[in-house]
Order: sequence, then C-alpha cells, then structure tokens
Amino acid sequence: MSAPESGIRLASCAADIVEIAALHGRAPELENIAGARGLELPVLGRVARATDQLALCVRPARWLLLAPPAHSGATAALWQAACARVGAAIDLSSGLAAWHLGGPQVRDVLARACRLDLDPQVFPPGSAAATVMAQVAVILAVLPSGLLLLTPTSTARHLREWLASTARPFGLTPRADVTVAVLSGDETT
Amino acid sequence: MRGPGRIARGLLADPDRPVGFRFDGRRMSGLEGDTLASALLANGQRLVARSFKYHRPRGIVTAGPEEPCALVDVIGANGREPNRLATTLLLHEGLVAESQNRWPSLGCDVLSLNNLIARFLPAGFYYKTFMAPGWAWERLYEPLIRRAAGLGRLEPLVGDRAAPAETVHDHTDVLVVGAGTAGLAAAHVLGTSGLKVILTEQDVALGGGSLLDARWSAWREGQCARLAGLATVRCLPRTTVLGAYGHGVFGALETLSPPEAARFDGLRERLRIIRARRVVFATGALERLIAFPGNDRPGVMLAGAAHQYLRRYGVAVGRRPVFFLNSDEAYEAVLALSGAGLECAVIDVRESSLAAERVRALGAEVQLGALVVGAYGREGVRTVRVVDVNGRARRDLEADCLLISGGYSPLTTLASQLGARLTWQEAIAAFTPDLAPAIGRVAGAARGVAGLAAAARDGEHAACAIATQLGRAVSAADLGGDLPLDSHATPIAAVWEVRGRGKAFVDLQNDVTAADVRLSFREGYEHVEHMKRFTTHGMATDQGRIGGLVGSAVLAQARGVPVCEVGQVRPRPFAQPVPFAALAGGEVREHFRPKRRLPLHEWHEAAGATFVPTGLWLRPLVYSRRSGWEAVLSEARAVRRSVGITDVSTLGKIDVQGPDAARFLDFIYANSFSTLAVGRARYGIMLREDGMLLDDGTTSRLAPEHFLVTTTTANATATLEHLEFHLQAVWPRLDVLLTDVGDHWAQFAVAGPRSREVVAAVVAGLDLSNEAFPFMAASVASIAGVAGRVFRISFSGELAYELAVPAGQALAAWSAVLEAGKPLGIAPYGLDALNTLRIEKGHVTGAELNGNTSADDLGMQRMLKKHGDFIGRALSQRSGLTAPERLQLVGVRPRARAQRLRNGLQLVAPEARTTTLGYVTSSTPAVESDGWVGLALVAGGRQRLGQRLIGTSPVHDETIEIEIVSPHMLDPENLRVRA
Repeated sequence: MSAPESGIRLASCAADIVEIAALHGRAPELENIAGARGLELPVLGRVARATDQLALCVRPARWLLLAPPAHSGATAALWQAACARVGAAIDLSSGLAAWHLGGPQVRDVLARACRLDLDPQVFPPGSAAATVMAQVAVILAVLPSGLLLLTPTSTARHLREWLASTARPFGLTPRADVTVAVLSGDETT
Repeated sequence: MRGPGRIARGLLADPDRPVGFRFDGRRMSGLEGDTLASALLANGQRLVARSFKYHRPRGIVTAGPEEPCALVDVIGANGREPNRLATTLLLHEGLVAESQNRWPSLGCDVLSLNNLIARFLPAGFYYKTFMAPGWAWERLYEPLIRRAAGLGRLEPLVGDRAAPAETVHDHTDVLVVGAGTAGLAAAHVLGTSGLKVILTEQDVALGGGSLLDARWSAWREGQCARLAGLATVRCLPRTTVLGAYGHGVFGALETLSPPEAARFDGLRERLRIIRARRVVFATGALERLIAFPGNDRPGVMLAGAAHQYLRRYGVAVGRRPVFFLNSDEAYEAVLALSGAGLECAVIDVRESSLAAERVRALGAEVQLGALVVGAYGREGVRTVRVVDVNGRARRDLEADCLLISGGYSPLTTLASQLGARLTWQEAIAAFTPDLAPAIGRVAGAARGVAGLAAAARDGEHAACAIATQLGRAVSAADLGGDLPLDSHATPIAAVWEVRGRGKAFVDLQNDVTAADVRLSFREGYEHVEHMKRFTTHGMATDQGRIGGLVGSAVLAQARGVPVCEVGQVRPRPFAQPVPFAALAGGEVREHFRPKRRLPLHEWHEAAGATFVPTGLWLRPLVYSRRSGWEAVLSEARAVRRSVGITDVSTLGKIDVQGPDAARFLDFIYANSFSTLAVGRARYGIMLREDGMLLDDGTTSRLAPEHFLVTTTTANATATLEHLEFHLQAVWPRLDVLLTDVGDHWAQFAVAGPRSREVVAAVVAGLDLSNEAFPFMAASVASIAGVAGRVFRISFSGELAYELAVPAGQALAAWSAVLEAGKPLGIAPYGLDALNTLRIEKGHVTGAELNGNTSADDLGMQRMLKKHGDFIGRALSQRSGLTAPERLQLVGVRPRARAQRLRNGLQLVAPEARTTTLGYVTSSTPAVESDGWVGLALVAGGRQRLGQRLIGTSPVHDETIEIEIVSPHMLDPENLRVRA
C-alpha cells in the first residue's frame, strides 16, 4: 500500500532518552561500558545505531541514548549503575521530545528555520548536530529511516505548531508513533 | 495593443492578455507582463509623481529598481502601501495605484509653490532658518516641514493585515549575483564542474543586457536551458541580493511569482539567507544621469530605459525622442528606437563616434560635439536647448522626450560591503571593485568590461578561477562558444554637468541639485560623506544610484581635484528598500516567540485556569475566568486552612554531579553546600560577580556527589548559563557534570496544615513523620507508582512538600494527589495565590531579586559564608552594599484596613513628601484577615519598623498612610513549616 506522496511526514517516537556524560578523562571507559551493552558511542557530530538503540553525540564527552521505553526511570537507573565513578547518566525521557521526520520535502521545510546545511552530501546519514530552529533548541540526526529531531518538551508544542504551519504548502502527514527499532532500522519509512 | 504608446510587440508583455488597473482614479488598461511604469507609459501618462521637496512634476526615469521618481502608493486588501516602485511593480488585474506627495491632485499641487521660492530653500536651509525660538522646532517647524516634504506615508501595516513572509536558509558553493551574460556563463561553468550554484537575478527574466539584443536570443535561451538541465544550479529570478555580510553570508529578497505566491498562501516575499563559499558579482553597470537645467522634467529618461520599454513591452516613451549621450553603448537605444520607426535626434558630447556613423547611416540626425543645456515644457519636455561644446550655436529642438546617458557605473555596492577597494578607470569614467580572491570575483560590466560577449567570457574566466580554487577541474570545452560579436566602440568622454540657468539635479528623489553640492563645499563639507549628510545626496530610498557618481564629480570640480580623489559614498545594506514584514519572516503572531507550556497545560486549561505569560512560560494565574481577588483568596485560604496543590514545574532544575560537585556549589553559592548532608535540602543565594544577588532557590543533596539545584522561574536560563560559564571558563579543572533537567521533571507543591496526610497517601516507602522526614528533608520515593522525589520545602509558609516526577507521568501523580486530598477539600492554586502566600511570609521573588538588591538589602547578610571564596564575595563586601541607608526589605500595611496597596507605590516621610524613601515591590490582600499587606524596599528600612510613612501614587492620585512592619508577617517563628 502506498500512501500519497506528501512533502513531509512527522511521527512521535516513544523512547527512553538518557544522557551519559564522562568525568574528566573517563570517556574511553564510558565507551567500553557502552560497548559491553552493545552500543558503540559515536564521535562528536555523529549518530550510531545498534539493534533497538541509538546513540548520538553533539557535546564533547556526552552522548544521548535512545532506547525503547522501560518502566519509569529503569533505563536511566541501569546506565547510572553502569557509569558509576566514570560518569553520570541522567534521565531526559520527559525532557526531550523525539520526532521522526521523513518525506521528499522535509529538508525544504526545515530550511525555513534551520541554519545548518542539511544537504545529504554535506550532512549525510550518520550526522548529528545541535542547533536552533524557530527560536527553540533542536538536535538533528540523519538516519537511513529519516531524520530524528529532539527538542525540549516545554516548547515542543510551539515547534510542532510552527512546523505544521510552515509545512502547509508542502503537505504535512502526521504518522502513528514509531519505535526506536524503526528509527534505528535500515528501512526508509 | 493597449494604449497609444504601444507600438510593437514586447518580449515580456502578452498582447492577448489585457489587464485593467487604476492610477489616481483613472481607469487604464495594460498587458500581462507589464510593469506599472510600462503600462502608464503605454497609456501616455508622463506625469506620475511630485518631488520630495520642491513638489516639481516628475515622470518615469528608469526601467528598474534604481528608479528615483516613479514611487506610488498601492492600495490593496492589506491597506495602503507607500513607496512601491512603478518600474518593478508587476501589473495585475484590479491594481489600484496613486501618486504621492501632492494635494489636491497630481496635476494641480498647491505646494508646488515651493518650487517658486526654491532659492530660499537650499540644502540645509532649515538648520539655519528655524533656529529660534528653541521650543518651536519640535512643536512648529518640524511638523510643518514634515507635512510639506516627504513621499508616501506609512500606514501601520501590522497584525493580521501584514502580508505573510518567510525566511529560507540556502547553502551553496558559489553564489552568482546577476544573470546577465557574465552571470549566465559563470553559473554554467561552475555548475558543470560539479559545484553547487545559486544564480540570483533581480529581474523577472534571466539575461540582463542580452534581453535587449535580438542577436543574443538563441545563446540566452540555450544557456538558460542548459542551466535548467544542471541539477547543481538553482536559478532564482525576481531575487535581489540586499546585502553582503562577510563570512559568505548574503541576504536576498525574492518576490514570488503569482503561481508560487498562490501555492504559499499568498506569500509575497521571501527573505533568503544564503551561505556561500565563494561569490561571483556579475551585477552589471547602471546608466547614470547628466546634470543640466531641467533634467528632472517628465519625459527626461535614461536612454537605456527607453530601450528597455521598447524591447520588453513594445512601448515607445515618445514619438520625437532627442538623445543626449557620451558613449557608443548608449547608441544601442538609438538604433532600437530608430529601427522601430521613431524619428530620433542625437546630441553627442564627443567630436567623433563609430556608433554615430552607424546611426547616421540609418537616417538619424546626429550632432557631435554638442551639449544639452536645458529641457523645457510645463508638465513634460517640449523643447530641448542645444549648444556646441563651446557654448555657442544655440538652437532649440522640438521633442517629447529627452533620453540621456552619462555613461555606465559598475554596480559596486555588494563588493564594497565586503571591503573591495575601488579603483578609478579612466576608460569608462567610473570606479571598479577589487574583491579579495578568497571571497570571490567580480565579472563582466560590474568590473568595467564592455560588450556582452566580452562579459560572457569574463564570467567564464571568473568561474574557472573559482572552480580551480575549490578543487574542481574545468574542462576547456566549457570555454569559448559562438557568441555574437561585440561592435567596436569609440571611448566615452566624461560629462557630469552642463551648467546653465535652472535646477540641475544630481539626486532626483531627494531633490538635491548640483548647486546644493557646491554649497556644501562652500560650507566646508568637503568630504564626500559630509557632502552626503549636508545635502542628503544619495540618502533616499534609491540611494542615489543613477546620480551618485555625478554628485561626486560635481564636488570634485568644486574642490578642483579629480573624481577619483573624491570617491563614492560607502553603500550599506540594504541595497534596496525591504518591507519589515519580509525581515520578520515567519516569526510573527503566534510564532513571534516560543511559548513554554507546563506538562499539565491541558489539565490546567480544562480546570478553567486563566494563564499569564511569565517569561516564555504560560502559567495558571488563577483557576477562574473571572477577575477579582475572591477566587485567588479562596485558593489561598484552602492552603492556610487545609491543603492545596500548585504546579511549580517552571522552576529551573540543574543536575550537578561529580567528585567536585560540592566544591563547585560552594563557589557558586554565597552559602555553603559542602556541609549539606545527603538527603537534605538547603536554601541558597548566589551573587553576581559585582556582589549583587543573582538568584535564590533550594538545592538538595541526593548522593555524596549528586546535587539538584533549583532556580527561580525567571532566572532559570541565566543561572544555568552562569554555572556553565564558571565551570567551563573559570574552573575547568573541577570535575563536575551539569545537566539541565528543567523540562524532565514536573514539580508540584502540596501545601497546607494537612498536606502530610495527602502526601502520605500517594508516596510509598517514605516515613513522613517529623522525625524521619523533617523540614528541609529530601528523598527519592515512589509517588503514585512513579519513581520520583519528595522535598520538604515551603514557599507558602505552611507545612509543605514538593513532589517531583518525570513530566511524562505528571498527570498520574497530580491526579493521585487531588484524589487523596478530596476529603480534605484540596484545591489547585495558581500564581496569584502563590504570590499572596509568599508575600505574607516575606519570601522574595523577582520583584525583590531585581538585580539592584544585595544580600544585606534583603536581610540575608548572615547567609554569606565567613570562610572560603565564592562568586561575588569581594565586591559584596563593598561598604556601599551594606550601608544603613540602602533600600532594605520590610513589610508594609496600610493604616486604614479598607485601603489597598499598589505595587510601585512610592513611600515618603510625612514631613518631607518630595523625597522618596523607597517603594512597594509586592502587594496582596491578606488571606485570613481584612486589609492588604505588602513588601517594600525602604531606605534604612530595618530601622523604621513601626514607623508611619506616606504611600503615594501620583499617577493614580492616591495617598495613604502606611506602617512599616517586619517582612515576616506570618508565623515569624517558622513553626508551621516544621509542624
């Protein structure tokens, strides 16, 4: 079944989001800890995929991890225990909204606020960056399945309303929520 | 054919599609593709405007965005929009335009008598004339002058009436500005080399000068098709680059085509912010005017403009044109008009010209070595007076238009903005820019290259240089091509001004004459920038583009130096007027600034909350849509008597972890945190470097190396920045991790004497007894099944707990508390009730932490630690910050119970009512008793307890008697919070 080709598609992603941060000089150890959990931590400006998990890095020695939702705070607690004395794991599951964007004109719409060059040649799959759009903090990552956008929850509705009105000439199709598995998969949605 | 002036089929005007419009109430008809100017000319309308200062009749002078005179009001659905250029305004069905700066009508303008008294109104006359009395300038003279002068009047195009606009960010390897032959050629070479190219063109069609030459049609069309076939090249017609801002950033304004506008909901303009690695300025050259008496009469027009009206729209600007020119390039217009069957006469300054010979062969009359010394005719040119270069052999020619050309000045505006040095080129009598190769290149006529073919080749050369610079191999096949030949030309002979009786204008829009420029020199304004400011030459919306260099030349002549020594005035962005709406883009109305919403925003809304914006947040003010204090006091009473709940999720929350976390907080806070036990919270104050209070809040120790800092709502962002700055820049060696967790945690205060019962009902695994969980205790806990945190802290002065849960689970926790509190009459309370409670208790907030208060002012001097350093310590010890006469925090009550307090009420001593002693910062009706209470900052306030002062608000015409009391107006022993 093929849906009519619209300019931009938007889905929310239900995910636990944990920020892990390394204490001074402890990043390699943190990378080992993550590696043992099946996740290779990417370098600055990149996003890494593992089965059912994502890690992206837009601040030095800090990574944002996305995992399927577990019982309240459990994912963060697991990481907190694993990172003890090496760094910190902070639960941001409710602090950041995660959206999955796709469609042929998604970059045209984002160019109405995003100052970064999102051309796939410049910002290819695997790239991640923090920026500001519509006066709101935004983290963008390019995945084979589409674009991942993270934004603070208190202003998420503002950004979504901005996106809806800006995308109107292009056509915006809201989609059902997606899982982290869909995000981290190889399929373009 | 529409209108008597339409004599041929134009390139852009479609003869099968008539378009009706109105000008000054007169119904006229044009063609689709016409500009308002071409349609007016086709209809024989020569008089289109009155000038800025002298109200002289004016006509259309150019055919593009450089137009100085043909500015009109456009009346549309969004109201009246002034100063639209008739020369770029595309005609559409139903367009209504009106002329400006005339009363009662264009033909009969009362203030045209200014022209008769013009000898008393030279440049700067009002500075000298209207000097006394001093008061009269603002009240009398300026209003009068403003009424008499000026062009369109701005109506407030605001709110819903403003046309929509948007901003788009573009990125490219090379930006090519201008799509004449140089730009088209450059874009093609760059595009085929694989570089990303954006090609902008202010015109509706690509081609620039090649649009006027039929021999170039095939090349132009082929080139456009080739560019359209390149995925690397994006062509943006109708797009003007407005400014060059360095680091490869350019601003451009795109006017949408009608179909594109329809697709974008009526969007008219789009601001493009273009980031490019290199730039090619192929902006071409502008024909300039010649100053001679009467050079502003309707019918005097640039020769190239007449050529454009004929070629593009099939419009003859007159039947008997006389040309006055000094270069062979300008003869293209003579050839075109003669070819269309018009009887042309040419006055050429030079003694010989190859082009003149070609024109003569076609039968046109050419007088070489001659000058035009005047143009005459009441409402338009009728006679042109000609002399030989020695001023003899005077004769008058009959003419209905005078087409002038003083040569061509390369458009250097954008290159100049990027620091390009200007070099005088005698061969073209103009300046050309030298752009640093690391920025880009200037190509074609923009750097003085003459001829379309030469410009195309120059564009290719520039492109090759840039492609090589950016590591692209350029194949030789890109170069060359069969281009139509450029004709040989006789060099230009510079002519700037022909002096004679009458006004000779150098700036048509601001009514600046050559005599004004000389006056400026005599008054001592010799520098070109000073002359500009004295005369206003080049300060109008057209920035004096067609006369800028002429003004410089007149000044040079007055100073007795060559033009190159005088130079040109420095152009600044924007290159053309930009509507504010286009600059604002999409960030207007509901998108003007972000709104931060609480996790439970929808719940509060459904509960009937009235919201108040505080910073970016929308907070529930009171759970009632009615105004008045009753609902607020009822919410507050529930807290004082039983229990209430309020959403304090807006507080800033910063997670602080690491082995040096306690040390770091000791530096940040004025009081100690390293001594805080795990599981406890402490109220802290932080100072700015200058010793003044920055923020306050409670900070809890969750683990030996883990703290949670809370900040006030208002200062949340500033405090986080403060912490980050000091960690990253001042103490980078401290091993601390800061994370903003403000949005992650929802936080509710459950307050009131019975709050313990309610909290106990929803919290599992936590003994809430006074012994196990005393005042200022903190712990993790399960709240309604959600992993959260409980703090025993109080802002209301009552026994209270703050419960924190992840924002995503806020509703479950909030609902559980309401359910548990139902038997006790729990009610949610809003910001007003919260304020009421804290004012009674004497707690400070933004009104008192206002950036001007020190710790001592707010009675917190004892909190500053005696040992160890902290931010602001040194400067907080300044004697001035603890001086007894400083404004200090006190409580205030009106003496008469029925009287209300106001924030901002000034406090004075009864015996000295002209000297303010301080003011009321916060005020509220008391919750449990009649009357009002407030907090105030009063000089030496702590020494005034019990004193009576007068509170006065002259704007409200109020004066009441006030008593100074302790700020702790409720439970000063702090028994309730420890209950």
